[in-house]
Amino acid sequence: MNWIGFYTLVNREVGRFFSVYRQTVLPGLISSALYILIFGFTLEQRISEIDGVSYTWYILPGLIMMNTLSNATANTSSSMLQMKLLQQLPDLLTAPLSGIEISLAYIIGGTIRGMVNGILVLFLGVLISGLPVQNIFGTLLFIFLVSWAFSSMGLVLGQLAENWDQMAMMQNFFLTPLSFLGGIFYSIKMLPEWAQTLSLINPIYYMINGIRHTILGIGDSSLFISFSMAIILTFFFTILSVLLMQSGKKIKV
Amino acid sequence: MKAIEILGLKKSYEKTLALNGVNLSIKEGEFFGLLGPNGAGKTTTINILTGLVFREEGSTLVFGKDTVKDFRFTRSKIGIAAQELSVDWFFSIEKLLYFQAGYYGLSKKVAKKRIEDLLIRLDLQKKKDSRLRQLSGGMKRRFQLAKALVHDPDIIILDEPTAGVDVELRRSLWKYLKDLHATGKTILLTTHYIEEAEKLCENVAIIDEGKILKEGSPKKLTQELGSSGITIHLNENKQNLNTVLADYSFTLDQDRLHFSVKDSDLAMPKIIQTLSNNNITIQSVEATSSSLEDVFLDLTGKDINK
Repeated sequence: MNWIGFYTLVNREVGRFFSVYRQTVLPGLISSALYILIFGFTLEQRISEIDGVSYTWYILPGLIMMNTLSNATANTSSSMLQMKLLQQLPDLLTAPLSGIEISLAYIIGGTIRGMVNGILVLFLGVLISGLPVQNIFGTLLFIFLVSWAFSSMGLVLGQLAENWDQMAMMQNFFLTPLSFLGGIFYSIKMLPEWAQTLSLINPIYYMINGIRHTILGIGDSSLFISFSMAIILTFFFTILSVLLMQSGKKIKV
Repeated sequence: MKAIEILGLKKSYEKTLALNGVNLSIKEGEFFGLLGPNGAGKTTTINILTGLVFREEGSTLVFGKDTVKDFRFTRSKIGIAAQELSVDWFFSIEKLLYFQAGYYGLSKKVAKKRIEDLLIRLDLQKKKDSRLRQLSGGMKRRFQLAKALVHDPDIIILDEPTAGVDVELRRSLWKYLKDLHATGKTILLTTHYIEEAEKLCENVAIIDEGKILKEGSPKKLTQELGSSGITIHLNENKQNLNTVLADYSFTLDQDRLHFSVKDSDLAMPKIIQTLSNNNITIQSVEATSSSLEDVFLDLTGKDINK
């Protein structure tokens, strides 16, 4: 194991997003604050409580999850694609680093960005709306697992994408819709039966309801199923990203 | 000890055969040139050595170890300055050198000394806090070299290191490479600049269409050829030269015609006669001894710069 090389790449990945925190950290906080103010406080006057909690509190776990997974995905996918397009990747691929070391270093970088964003939105929620957190350990564990899973998925996307257009397509046509349809702003019980069934095949639905359980003690899916789903996604995408990196697909010829 | 040994190396990209059984052997401490036109297979060969390209057939060894099976060992021995210049938006060039050193397992403390030294030697000290995009083309080339040297490798691979740089920088880079070689480093240089290979390399291999055509010292190769060169400067570049001079091997660079001939005394009057008969005005004529340019022309019938 090349520990120094591995640590250096983690350091680079973390340093990269912190060096542009205006693009990578602040936007999530600002948009979450706007969601809380516009959707939360405004609609709270018209929507009665859901499952016994105020509407603002109800949407906050979803906002935390959305920020966590979108930032974790964006970090690895954009970094990998950028390194490919800007001719930086050969520096890594010609260094004495194995595929598993490169993948894990990237994934950790994305996980840290996902966690930083998720935890900051959690703080924001506590600060603005006095959000109570029932199980802080479970909440942090969920944020960690989802960050890791989606960071791995982002690495897969970054390695397979050939240009920014393909990347944007994945983000705009899959990740964002699935996040919104995962029940950030509503309980799936409010949906017609067919839409409720459809929601069950959306993995993000389990992530949002899992963290809702750990924070508020309520959720549409059981905590066990949500947690299991997070573990399955984490393993699945980690293994996939490592195997893909070792195969050299789209990065070596 | 052989620093690099390549045996029967084959590689194709879809339907194009890039390497067709390349064999190469480079001794430790040797300054070796891989000479060939664009698309000859130079970059593919070194990319297989460094792990950027998968080999299809054959073996690639660095200090006797396989570059795939023992990649940690072989890659740590090699420093590569790629032809393509990379871009980075986030970090200063000094920071990028620290990263590069880290990938090769150098601690910050060890890297610090080397990076300070390299920045001074390559005249980049004043620019150490700049981003890559803020550097001139020549500075980027020097940074590329610093990156290759940061982990103090035994083998330095330079892919067209002076492509697109001005004459002054080219000469200063040549001097730096000679100094490095004097410290015992093995250097593998790919180039299509004849002068570069002649000035720097102890041995060269001429590669074309994925095959090594000839290997040896520049002196030996030119002596073996036994032919000599004729350089003619024209008053203007004529379009129909290929038809007029169809019987000769020649290269054309703007108004400079260079012929590779067996006997210049015999060939010169004939060439001058042919040109005059076709109303092509000659500015000057010069007989030269054989160069690698002539060797290349004789072996391939091609102009290396095309």
